[in-house]
Amino acid sequence: MNTRPTKIERRIRLAGTLLIAGLVVELVTLRWGRPTAFLFFLLLGGALMALGICVYLLSLVSAENKPPVE
Amino acid sequence: MTGNTTILVAVILFSIVLIAWLVLRPSITATRGGKMLAFVALLIFPVLAGGMGLNRHIEHSKTTNFCLSCHVMEDYGKSLRVDDRSFVPATHFQYNLVPRDQACYTCHTDYTMYGDFNSKLRGLRHVYAYYLGKPSQPIKLYRPYNNRECLHCHLGARSFEESEAHTKDPQALSRMKLNQLNCSTTGCHNIIHNVGQLKDATFWKEQDK
Repeated sequence: MNTRPTKIERRIRLAGTLLIAGLVVELVTLRWGRPTAFLFFLLLGGALMALGICVYLLSLVSAENKPPVE
Repeated sequence: MTGNTTILVAVILFSIVLIAWLVLRPSITATRGGKMLAFVALLIFPVLAGGMGLNRHIEHSKTTNFCLSCHVMEDYGKSLRVDDRSFVPATHFQYNLVPRDQACYTCHTDYTMYGDFNSKLRGLRHVYAYYLGKPSQPIKLYRPYNNRECLHCHLGARSFEESEAHTKDPQALSRMKLNQLNCSTTGCHNIIHNVGQLKDATFWKEQDK
């Protein structure tokens, strides 16, 4: 049985990891009332989430869901 | 935690659980159901959570506590409690002429089409000046205060339109409305925050309700 992840699976993993990191940043900044929280949310959380979404969309348009040739 | 924040936290946590499931088992995206789940978890929920978070941060950034959380704004916060009616911001704050929880924002936003957006851009400039630049002492506005911000509330009010001081000169009212005669720099309402006078001032103590 071939257990190696396909290209689309690898990209989904990467997108998911980026999105989770962005969402964790958002969660942390919600509990932090200072102006720097807004910056962290926008520049770090926003960037991670935007990147995650882009990687996911890229995986939809560019990868074929076939197992790699051994 | 307010109701909206609770919903937002729930959306974020639910998104994280869905995404974590996909990260651990990406092979489920090979099925039609898995593809739909991925679409919802990796696009719909993050966009929803991000949008709600942005809205929450913007609303929070309008609060008086948010503005006064910067050290350099401490004296400006104190000036809202000066027990002297000639201090324009103090009178507006103490007599509920502006909402107390959004006192700074109410007077320092632009009442224009993109006023909110411009205010947030100015906020980013404040952060830049605070951390990377050198805030002027005392703090100065980036540009002269526009009467438009006062007139957002005062225009049409009897106290403004029929005031003896405003009607003595027949041209005065129209010049004020056109921002040609500035309310705060022409000697009429010129005691604004005046943080230099705070050490001699007495302060209003709000009664416990």
